[in-house]
Amino acid sequence: MQIVVSGENYSVEWDSETRTAALAGILRLNGLEEYAPISRFLSEAVPAGSMTLDLRRLEFLNSSGIAMLSKFVIEIRNRKTVDLGMVGSKAVAWQGKSLPNLCKLMPTLDMQIV
Amino acid sequence: MTIPRFHSVTAKQAVATVAVVLVLSLAGSLLELFFDWHAMRDQIRAQMPQILDTVEGSAVEAAYQLNPGLAAKVVDGLLGYGIVVGGRLTDNFGDLLAERNRGQEAAAGPVADMLFGDISTYTRELAKIGGGGRTVVGKLDVRLSSRAIAGGFYGRALVNAALGLVRSLGIVALVVGIFYVMITRPLVRLAQVVAQVDPAHPGTHLVARLKGHGDDELGQLVDSLNALLESSQAGLDQRDQAQSELTALAQTLERRVAERTRELEAAGEEIRSLNNILKAENVRLGTELEVSRRIQQMVLPTRIELAGISGLDVAAYMEPANEVGGDYYDILHGEGGRVRIGIGDVTGHGLESGVVMLMTQSAVRTLVTSDEPDAVRTLDILNRTIFQNVQRMGCEKNLTLALLDYRPGPAEGAEGAAGHLRVSGQHESVIIVRRGGAVELVDTMDLGLPLGLVDDVGPFIAETTIALEAGDTVVLYTDGVTEAADNRHQLYGLERLCQVVADHWPADADAIKEAVVADVKRHIGDQPLYDDVTLIVLKQNVPTAQRMYLA
Repeated sequence: MQIVVSGENYSVEWDSETRTAALAGILRLNGLEEYAPISRFLSEAVPAGSMTLDLRRLEFLNSSGIAMLSKFVIEIRNRKTVDLGMVGSKAVAWQGKSLPNLCKLMPTLDMQIV
Repeated sequence: MTIPRFHSVTAKQAVATVAVVLVLSLAGSLLELFFDWHAMRDQIRAQMPQILDTVEGSAVEAAYQLNPGLAAKVVDGLLGYGIVVGGRLTDNFGDLLAERNRGQEAAAGPVADMLFGDISTYTRELAKIGGGGRTVVGKLDVRLSSRAIAGGFYGRALVNAALGLVRSLGIVALVVGIFYVMITRPLVRLAQVVAQVDPAHPGTHLVARLKGHGDDELGQLVDSLNALLESSQAGLDQRDQAQSELTALAQTLERRVAERTRELEAAGEEIRSLNNILKAENVRLGTELEVSRRIQQMVLPTRIELAGISGLDVAAYMEPANEVGGDYYDILHGEGGRVRIGIGDVTGHGLESGVVMLMTQSAVRTLVTSDEPDAVRTLDILNRTIFQNVQRMGCEKNLTLALLDYRPGPAEGAEGAAGHLRVSGQHESVIIVRRGGAVELVDTMDLGLPLGLVDDVGPFIAETTIALEAGDTVVLYTDGVTEAADNRHQLYGLERLCQVVADHWPADADAIKEAVVADVKRHIGDQPLYDDVTLIVLKQNVPTAQRMYLA
């Protein structure tokens, strides 16, 4: 487990064994430019094979963050080499309303909301 | 530098030598005189008895015979000695037989008396030795001249003193001469050579070796002096070198300082120009913020428009965040009490979000004006328009957008409702608070997809219909309300929003709106507004006939 990106209230950790990126904290960055370090890491993390995005500890994601996730999902969908899975939490409000959209964007996305 | 003759080393040395030699020779002369004096006295003491011995026989005969003639011969014989000045011969009765004194004898003087006075008189008793033994017959007195003795002594002393003086002067001359040749002259030469040494360049002319003094103390002195001069020259050379290095360093330093100053000035100039650019940028950003804010505000429906809507009680509120968030809403009323409502939220903040919001408003209004009846088609055209424009802008914005179509009366195939609302597009859940306070939520997740994200949203668009009874309240909002955060990042939340609306269900739309806004503001306290806050409250009016009946 290593921290690859971090900020005042958030962190992105990467577990290379399980190929899992875990986003945690409160992400309220301004626009896609400020999300670029995170989106770049996510899209370069796995060229092919399985990859999991763990969002359970991400308490808040603003609309720019949701757009960033949407674009990431579309990119993975178009790439067709990565089996993407996501783990979300029912307890976090934004996930309930935004994660289903990601499933719409990528029907093969393995979404688990626990 | 010239030295007065009497101050020269040679003169001083001569004076000192003369003084010492004179004192020593005076002491020697005095010692010599003393021994002379002693020798002279001893000589006289030895000589006088012999003289008396030679005349004693004749003197005894003269005294025995009382013969004055013989006595006179004896005394005269004694006076033949230069130092004898008087003689006197007397018989044994004391009667004078003969006496002679040498002429006018000058007084001897006290010094001569002191020196020789004690040995100037001799008396010899005259005795005749016969058958009857020894018989005294008379007495012979001899007086010597102290002056004569002293005169001889003085003469010898004078010669001695003169000789001593000559000897002394000779020694002095010799000593001074030798000293001058051996020491003084080399020293003087050395002094002259040293005086010629250039203090600025002591090493250029070294002192030459003194002839004949190669290995003595003077030679060593010359060597030491030369070593001193050389080391002094070396020191001076080092000093000169250090000085020139220092000068070079100082010049380098000055040059560097000058360069640095120029650099600093250039940097200062750059900073000033950057500062100006920054100021300009700030002005530009400030202007941009202001422009974004005005873009957003200028296309919002006016109060007059809202007041002109019959059948629906409508209240709307929007407060942009400091950096405009791109919230969109519009309320358009058409023929027969039809009201078209749009609400959406563009991602991000600032001018671009504002422009996308403006674009959305125009596109929605265009489609509403052209009276496109199909919700799927409407949202699909909107999505394509926005997607392509956003691609052109290269800003990757997208937005949630819900379109609501209100018509009075029941929906087709339904019965009894005062009005109905068709909802399509994905946005926040629609809150319905029924008359009496019951809350219903209509999830819009399955009614669409964010617009501008993908080129084709057609497959995801759906529509749902909500029937409204008189007194029912519909609340639309953006996430600026539900995600308004307090200082502990506690979000305001959908639940609390529903609760406030439910608590105020009997109130009119404006009062409900005010209650919600006040509660949200209470929640965020002194925290800044991170996002635009948009709130729309629709209240199904009681139809005129029913109102009269109720009244």
